[in-house]
This record gives sequence, structure tokens and C-alpha cells, in this order.
Amino acid sequence: MASVSVARSGFRAGRVLARALLVGAVLAVLLLMPQAGLYYVRLADDVLIYVLLALGLNLVIGYAGLLDLGFVAFYAVGAYSYALLASPQFGIHLPFLVILPIGAALAACFGILLGIPVLPLRGDYLAIVTLGFGEIIRILLNNMDAVTGGPQGVMMIDVPRLAGYPLISPRGFYWLLLGICIIVGTLVLRLERSILGKAWAAIREDQDAARGIGINTVRVKLAAFAISASIGGLAGVIFASFQRYVSPESFTFNESILIVLIIVIGGVGNILGVITGAIALIVLPELLRGVAEYRMMAFGFVLAALIVLRPEGLVPRSFGPARLARWLFAP
Amino acid sequence: MSFAFDHVTKRFGSVVAIGDVSMEFEPGLIYAIIGPNGAGKSTLVNMAAGSYSVTEGQILLDGRPLQGLKKYQIARAGLARTYQNIRLFDQMTVLENLEVALSPTELRHTWREVLVPPYATRAAARRRAACLQLLEEFGLADMADTHAELLPYGRQRMLEIARALISGPRVLLLDEPAAGLNSGETETLKHRLLRLRRPDRVMIVIEHDMELVMSLSDQIYVLHHGALLFCGSPAEVQANREVQEAYLGTDDDLDSIRELARHRRAGRGLRHETGVVAHHA
Repeated sequence: MASVSVARSGFRAGRVLARALLVGAVLAVLLLMPQAGLYYVRLADDVLIYVLLALGLNLVIGYAGLLDLGFVAFYAVGAYSYALLASPQFGIHLPFLVILPIGAALAACFGILLGIPVLPLRGDYLAIVTLGFGEIIRILLNNMDAVTGGPQGVMMIDVPRLAGYPLISPRGFYWLLLGICIIVGTLVLRLERSILGKAWAAIREDQDAARGIGINTVRVKLAAFAISASIGGLAGVIFASFQRYVSPESFTFNESILIVLIIVIGGVGNILGVITGAIALIVLPELLRGVAEYRMMAFGFVLAALIVLRPEGLVPRSFGPARLARWLFAP
Repeated sequence: MSFAFDHVTKRFGSVVAIGDVSMEFEPGLIYAIIGPNGAGKSTLVNMAAGSYSVTEGQILLDGRPLQGLKKYQIARAGLARTYQNIRLFDQMTVLENLEVALSPTELRHTWREVLVPPYATRAAARRRAACLQLLEEFGLADMADTHAELLPYGRQRMLEIARALISGPRVLLLDEPAAGLNSGETETLKHRLLRLRRPDRVMIVIEHDMELVMSLSDQIYVLHHGALLFCGSPAEVQANREVQEAYLGTDDDLDSIRELARHRRAGRGLRHETGVVAHHA
């Protein structure tokens, strides 16, 4: 008996140690990332931008169950907000922290603008209309030369300043993005658990029954579109301030598809899945640089394999943050 | 409080599903609406809940017509329903299925819930306690964290009724609550439904199970071909010849039905025997 309990407590101590090491490793990677080479920091910035985008789109696709294929439009609205309000284009030079909420609010307005006509639509039809919306925004940006600079885009965008310090290196952006991802991630998680999150889930499960219990599906859906779009806008503002150059080329349909893929491959409706998906889909093509011209083909194969092997995504919906916390801290 | 159908007609194209039906419901009583298949019972429920529009006439809750209100507004006005085919939120837990039904009053505090953690904790605890109490009454507390789709059929029915109740409705419409239940479950259902009687609540049950209808309801409305055939107490309905004919046909029909049943029984016996023979061979 004694030896069994000793063995068990030894096993338990091992497990605690393993978990502590895991948490420590994740923290170390997050904190030491900026010390790595510039290439890696840039990659980390990229991952974080897509985490942010996917967190936003996941509200609509994962929580409310509405397939939106035009999410890049809100990213573009945010990016052009910064580009036009902090560049010589109109000679307006608003500070970064002022444009951040403006870009988010403007994107939210576009979210509602898109939301209203697609309210009665679901599934394939919704996907097609949102896809069209994404393209309309891109084509508008391409053709409104006088405002957006047309295909040439907007150049010489201001360097963003935070508390007086110019933010110019990928390292600085890493901290900014990490901070915003943590804040947005926390808010999104709290939204998911709130009564609104449950109302979204009800709409996803059975829209008609949701109405039957008194849920105003119009408002609840528009809230999803608006909040989701505002996160996309936030990501856009940061993207523009980081690139210091925007053009319609950055906001093609491919971007929307990439963000949807991140969610689907990572795990629909699960924040952990979204993060995992962003890491996987942004890092994977870099790892495949070794196979040069076959890169995209290999990427396609890996995606197909992932969907077949893990149809619920890398992290299934059931393994959410609460499960992770329980797993990490359970005795 | 009052609830009534006032000369309600529903036409689908040229088909009259409900023709000039008037019904009045007193709070505190349990009503049953019965009638053969196709009599228009579900059409009435669907009109009341706002799923169907009303062609003519009015459905009045507290003297106010429900027409023009959206489905969610009707629910918020205090009318809750269950469905003939159970409609739960399958991928949500039993508890969440109830919690989300509290959202009409809670949604406006969402921002507080997201931004003020202590408020969120309190709100979640309050919702949980209210829902758990009801789950307890419906014998579902032990499965509070199970996904609704994993519940056995009978308990799904109970959950659906609990979900309709959590908002404290003044009109409760139950569309065939006993469908698919075994006799033990039906008995439990009856006792639970009897306890749901409130002085300020109209309960309306649409049901085929006559034993349940007769033992449950205070007043019965009989529909036939979209028209009101009879209204009375269970005893009066049972004694009424017109109702019996609507349900079972005339005596002549009854004989032919019995004949048919005998044939079918005989046929099944025959098939069974040949099956046995085949097995032995």
C-alpha cells in the first residue's frame, strides 16, 4: 500500500512539474520572442495579427454560426482609417491611439452595414453575399483614386507613437500586438461566457427556437457582426501603422479565406483553437520554404490531411480555456 | 390577465386550416385542444406564437392583439411554447438551454457582464441558481452539464418544458408534450403539469393521449376540420356523440375499422409464422 501511494504521489509530482514546465515554456517563448532574430519577430508579429483577425471572425463563424467570407473588408476599413488619418494623403496626422478606436468604430459601422442586408440569410447564401461584400470594398478602394490613392495605395504613413515613443521596430509591434491580443482575447472570452455568448450559441443551434424564447435575433446578430468587425478594424489599424503603406492588394479574397482556414483548422468556436490555428497556418508555409516551388502544393496537402485527420480542428470546441485551466491546475 | 382567439381564420392559399374559431381561456385553468390529425391544432399554436400570420380575426393577450408583433416580442409578452418535434439547443448543456431563455431580461447588461468581472460572477451565479432550481423540479439537475442532445428522449421533453417555463410565462402552450413518452413518463408529466397551474397562468395542452387529456384538463376544446366542434369539461366531451363521431367516425365506420384491425393482426401472425418456418428450414 505504502509503495503504491509513494508511486502515486511521485507520479503526481511529475505531472505538476511537467505542467509547470509547459506553462514556463510558453511564458518564456512569449517573453523572449523579441530577443530572437528579426525574421522570427516579424513572423511572430504576423502570427499575432492573424490571431487578432481570427479572434474577431470567430465571433461570427464560431459563436453565432454565420459563415462570413468577407471579413477582410473590415481589416481594410481599419487599415485605410489609419492610412488616411495619419499620412500626407489629406495632410491629416491624428495620433495612433486616437485612430485605433476610430478605426474599430468605423469597421463596426461597416459590420452593421453588411449585417442588415444579410440578416435573413444563412449558410451558403450568407457566404456568397459576404464574399461579394469583401470584394466590393476592395474594388471601391481600388477605384476611389481621389480618396484612397487607387491601386497605388497610400504611402508615407505616419510612424505610430505610444506615450511619445515612436513604434517602428518589429519588436515594438510585438509588444503592442501581444498586449492587444491579450486584452481582446480576454474580452472575447468574457463575451463568450456572457448571456450574449449564450444567445449567439442559441441562434447557431436553432434560430427559430431562439426567437421563440424571446431572443431578438436581429440585434443579437448585428452585435456579433459589429463586435467582430471592430476587432478586424483594430487589426487593420495596427497593420497599416506597421507596414506604413496600404494598397488594395493586401485585402484580397485570399486573406478572408486564410482567416476562415485558421478558424476551421484551429478549432471553430474555441479561442485556443484560433490561436493554435494562427500559429499553424502562418508558421507552416515558412517551414515549407525548403521545398521552394512545391511550397503551396505541400501546404495544400497538409491542410487537406489536417481536415481529414482532425475534422473538429486541432483543438476541438470541447477543449476550451476552462478545460485547459482545469487540466493545468487540477491537483 | 386574459387570453383569447377572437374569430380567428387561417387560410393557406385556398385551403382553410382554421375557420372562424373563437376560444377564451381563463387564467388558473388547464385547457386541452384536441381533434383528429389535420384539425388545425398546431396551426392555432403556430399563429399564437407568431410563426404563422393570422388571416382574419385576432389573438388577444390581455386584450392586446398579438398580430404585428414579432415572434420574440410575443415571447417577451409572456407567451411560451414547446414544439411538436422537440427543438432544443443541442450543442448547449442542459443548464445553458435554460440560462439562455433568461436572456430577454439579461441581454441589456451584457457590457457590464463583460467589463465588470464581479458583476459577471454574480449574474452567472444568480442565473445558475434559478435554473438549477427548475431543473431540480423537472428531475434534470443531475444532468445539468450534459449536452442536451445526449439526453434520453423523455428528458428532452422535460427540458423543453422547463425552458418554456423559466421566463415565468403567463400563457404556456404545450404542443403534444406526451408524444413519444412511455406510460410511466406520461404519468410523471401529468403530475408535473398539474403543479404548473398558477392563478395568473393559462395552460393550453395539445395532445392525442386521451387519458392524459381527460385527467389533466379543466376544459377541452374540440377542433374538427378547422372549426370548433365542441367545448366542455372532460366528462361532457366524453359523453358527446358528435365528438365521438369526429374522432372515431360513425358506428358503421367503427365496425370497418375493427374489421381492418382484425385483418392486420391476422396478417402479422401469418408473417410471423412463415418467419419461424423459414428459420427452422
